[in-house]
Amino acid sequence: MTARELTVAVLGAGTMGAGIAVVAARAGHRTILRDVSEDALQRGLENATAFLDKSASLGKLSDEEARAARENLHGSTDLADVAPADVVVEAVFEDLALKQRLLGELDDVVSEDVLVHTNTSTLSVTAIAAGSQRPDRVVGTHYCNPAQLMKLVEVAEGRHTAPKATARSREFLEGVGKTTVLTKDRPGFIVNRFLIPWENNCIRALEAGHGTVESIDRAVVGALRHPMGPFKLLDVVGLDVHQAVSMRLYEQLHDPRFAPPPLVDQMVAAGDLGRKTGRGFYTYDSRRSFGA
Amino acid sequence: MPDRDLDRVAVVGFGTMGSGIAQVVAASGRDVVVLEPEAERLDRGRRSLARMLDGGVARGKVTEQERDATLARVTGSTDVSALSGAGLVIEAVTEQRDVKADVLATVADVVGEEAILATNTSALSVTDIAAHLPRPERVAGLHFFNPAPVMRLVEVVRALQTDQDVIARLVGFVEDVGKDPVEVKDRPGFLVNRLLMPYLNDVVAEYDDGLASAEGIDTALQLGLGYRLGPLAMLDLIGIDVHRHATQSAYDATLDPQFAPPPLLGQMVAAGYLGHKSGRGFRGEYDTGEDA
Repeated sequence: MTARELTVAVLGAGTMGAGIAVVAARAGHRTILRDVSEDALQRGLENATAFLDKSASLGKLSDEEARAARENLHGSTDLADVAPADVVVEAVFEDLALKQRLLGELDDVVSEDVLVHTNTSTLSVTAIAAGSQRPDRVVGTHYCNPAQLMKLVEVAEGRHTAPKATARSREFLEGVGKTTVLTKDRPGFIVNRFLIPWENNCIRALEAGHGTVESIDRAVVGALRHPMGPFKLLDVVGLDVHQAVSMRLYEQLHDPRFAPPPLVDQMVAAGDLGRKTGRGFYTYDSRRSFGA
Repeated sequence: MPDRDLDRVAVVGFGTMGSGIAQVVAASGRDVVVLEPEAERLDRGRRSLARMLDGGVARGKVTEQERDATLARVTGSTDVSALSGAGLVIEAVTEQRDVKADVLATVADVVGEEAILATNTSALSVTDIAAHLPRPERVAGLHFFNPAPVMRLVEVVRALQTDQDVIARLVGFVEDVGKDPVEVKDRPGFLVNRLLMPYLNDVVAEYDDGLASAEGIDTALQLGLGYRLGPLAMLDLIGIDVHRHATQSAYDATLDPQFAPPPLLGQMVAAGYLGHKSGRGFRGEYDTGEDA
C-alpha cells in the first residue's frame, strides 16, 4: 500500500485535520482537505502550507519535497469531492452525533473498499461507526497533537471493524511514517487513559499540600525523567481542554479518578487556562501555543 | 558554605542503594564508611561500586582519576565502631521496619547524639523508625532514587519529630553532593511514589484486562508523552516484588484502593517473575548476567 500513491481525504480542517493532511501529503498521497466552512478550509490549508514552508526553511524537508507536498494538497467544501478517496480520515469536532452523521453521509459518496478512519481521543469507535452502514471498514486512529510531528497513532477496532481493515490501516499509517499501537476500544485508549488520572492525581496532591507546583514538577522531572512536570504540561495542554477530556472520560467510566478536581474548575472559571491565556499554574510573558 | 559536620558520612548497607549513595557522597569529595555485617557482602558492594564507576568512565561521564579518587574515599567495615565520628549516617538496608530500626539503634550508640540519622526508605514511615531511636528529632528520611548516581532528585523526608534545622542541613547536604532536594512530609510514598504507584497499578490492571500488549502500552506512553521508559519496562527495572511491597505498604497505611496491588502483581511474584533480576517480567525475558 505504501508503494502506491493513494488519494486521502481528511474531513475537518482544524488543528488535527490540517496536521493529518500534512502527514498524508508529505508522504506523497494526493490529499483532499474538506471542511463545511470555506473560512475554516482556507485557514487549514494556510496552516498546512505554512508548516511545510517552515519544515523546508528548517531543513527538515528539501524545497522539492515541500513543493511536492504542497501540490498534493487540495481543498474542498463539498463532500462529493472525496469520492475518489482510498482512505478517509474524519477529524471533525469531538461530538458523537456529528461524527455519526458524517459517517452516514460518507456511505453514499465513497467507494466499496475505502478505509474510514475516525480520529477521536475520548469517544467510542464502536459508537461512531454505528453511524455508518459499513462499520466493518471504520477504524479508530488517534493521532497525537501536533500530528505532523508526533509519531504515535493509537489504532482501535470497533466491535464490527473487519480485521483486514485494521491491518490495511496500520500498513497505511506505518507507510506515512507513524508508529501504530493496537488498543481496545476503551475510553481514552492508552495515552489519555493513563495521563488523565495521573494529572488529576498530581492536582489532588497539590490541593492536599503534598508539595507546591514547582516542587511537584521538579520531583517528577528529577525522579521519573518526564520531559516536563505535570503542571507545566497542563499549562501547555490548556486547563479547559484537560477539564473537557476528564469529564468525557468520567462520564463513560464513572470512576472518580477521572473527575476533574475542583481546582481545575476554578482555574477554568477564572480564565487561567495555561500558556494560551498567559496564566495557568505558572505565568507566562508570551502566549505561545503548543507546537508553535 | 558546606556543612563541615557532615563531611564524614557513614552508609549502612552495601546493596544497590547503599553502593549508589556511597558513590554519590564520595564523588563529592567526602569520606564514606560503609557498614555491612559480613565481609562477603562488603566485597560484593565494592565490586558493584567499581563496576558502576567503570561504566561511568566508559560513557565518558567520569575520568579514570575521578573513579580512583572516589573508590579511595570509600572504606568498608564489618565493625560498627568504624562509624564513630560520622556526622551523618545514611541507612540503606532492607525495607523492613525492625531491621532498619535495630541497625540504626546500634549505630546511634556509636556515633553519639549529635549525628544526623537518615533512613533511605521508600515504603516505611520515617516517624515510626525515629520513634525507636534516641533523640528522634535528629532522624529524617533521605530518599534517593535508583540508580542513585544518575537520578537527580532526593526527597528529604520530615518525620513528625524532625527538627527543622536538621531538615535544612540535609537539604544543604543534598545540594552539596550535587543532587536536587525536595522537602516532603512523611506520608506513604512521600511525594514521587505517592504519585507513581497508583499510575503503575492502574497500568498493570489494564494490561491484565487486555487493553493492549505490554510493548504497546509502553510504546504508546513513550511516544505519546515523551517518557524515557514505559511503565511496564520501569516495573521490570524496579523489581515487581519491590513495587508490590511498596504499594502494599502504602495501602496498609492508607486503605486507599489506588494503592492496592492488582492481583497480577502478586501472581508474578508467586511465579518468580520479578523483572530484570529474575530474568523475566512484563516485557519478556532478560539476561540476568553473573549477579543473578
